[in-house]
Amino acid sequence: MIETDVLVIGAGPAGSSAAKHAAKGGAKVILIDKKSEIGSPKRCAEGISNNGLENLGITPNPKYIAKKIDGCRLVSPSGTDVWLTTEEIELPETGYTLERKVFDKFMAMDAAREGAEIKIKTLAKSLKKEGDSVILTCEHMGESFEIKAKIIIAADGPESHVSRWAGLKNVTKAKNMESGIQFEMCGVEFERENIIEFYFGSCAPGGYAWIFPKDDDIANVGLAVIAEDTDKSAYEHLKEFVANCPATQNAQAVELNVGGDPVGGLVKDLYGDNILVCGDAAGQVNPLTGGGIISGMNGGMYAGQVAARSIEEGDYSSKFLKEYEEIVDKELGKEMHKYLKVKEYALSLPDDELDSIADAFQDMDFEKISTTEIVKNLVKVSPKALLKLGKLI
Amino acid sequence: MIVKDWCSYCGECAGICPKNIIEVKEYSLVFDEKECSRCEICVKACPLNALEME
Repeated sequence: MIETDVLVIGAGPAGSSAAKHAAKGGAKVILIDKKSEIGSPKRCAEGISNNGLENLGITPNPKYIAKKIDGCRLVSPSGTDVWLTTEEIELPETGYTLERKVFDKFMAMDAAREGAEIKIKTLAKSLKKEGDSVILTCEHMGESFEIKAKIIIAADGPESHVSRWAGLKNVTKAKNMESGIQFEMCGVEFERENIIEFYFGSCAPGGYAWIFPKDDDIANVGLAVIAEDTDKSAYEHLKEFVANCPATQNAQAVELNVGGDPVGGLVKDLYGDNILVCGDAAGQVNPLTGGGIISGMNGGMYAGQVAARSIEEGDYSSKFLKEYEEIVDKELGKEMHKYLKVKEYALSLPDDELDSIADAFQDMDFEKISTTEIVKNLVKVSPKALLKLGKLI
Repeated sequence: MIVKDWCSYCGECAGICPKNIIEVKEYSLVFDEKECSRCEICVKACPLNALEME
């Protein structure tokens, strides 16, 4: 049987970050992923904020940066748009779009260079406890084998099988799982360059639609819906959106991406005996935007660091691993709770109210581009928003 | 469960399955039919309408 200190399941950004930091902390690490190619197919709109990677100690590599982003455009159901760009304001919080198929591999390579062993095309099948360890049964091209680990880090994405096998109470309710769908398209006609666009209202019930540019006429064009809120499939909504949106009417799809996005906030149990949960599997996703690359990588980093300390101390109990939850609550939890409240409010607005907010936003002065700044101004223009969100700001 | 051939194996169905009985391999879905309670939450959530209850 293969034995290791730390076994990370899932080599997305969160899992690779966990593996990297656990290895950096001195633990023997194995990182498994069920796919033949880490990062492919992408299940993501690929937007990321400017400082996210730097704060993780990662210098962005041009090989996985698709396009620099200078601002955003918010579009209401009637087509009223609010531009928040470097033209309008002085101090933008900008970002870029990634090439996830390259980025994810680079993150896994970082983990490998710290000493993690990577096993691709290796599927996790089941989990059992044995003494002070856990044993994961895996499958690799028809062959079944076991890996014995002192700690497992579950980074298995929205599927989140592993933490549930471990007996943690992590169920994502249907109302908290966005059904995401996206085309990568060429021939997209942008009104302005380097701007990410968000479309709100009944085009995407329970979520929003987006256009994230990746090159001069290339963009990820997608949307996310809550299945309970609509009778149509996400795909039908996307076809309609693409046909009706002026920017995409003449665009051609070269790729179709789908996937679930857990937007209900952090899961109940982030840890247990011999286990830590991070990334989408842990609900480390901004509930308002659905973005989870940086929050998942931060979660992964904390999980890897706590796992390494736990190995060093020889204590893999939930009592020791609780430190992870404390860090996540402090660093990610409070913000996520705030965004969850904003999302609940935003989704309660009918199309006409969204339009009137967009109208009022036309005359607002934004100081910077951030979700918090948008909410701050929302409270100024909408009495209902003040009532529901005032105390959060 | 009938899995249509346009399924993309994204795993959303597995994530919301209350019984955690949908295995997502790289190019196939495996349902533990004996454990399935036929709630159809997965059928409804599929972004591609790729699942159909038998």
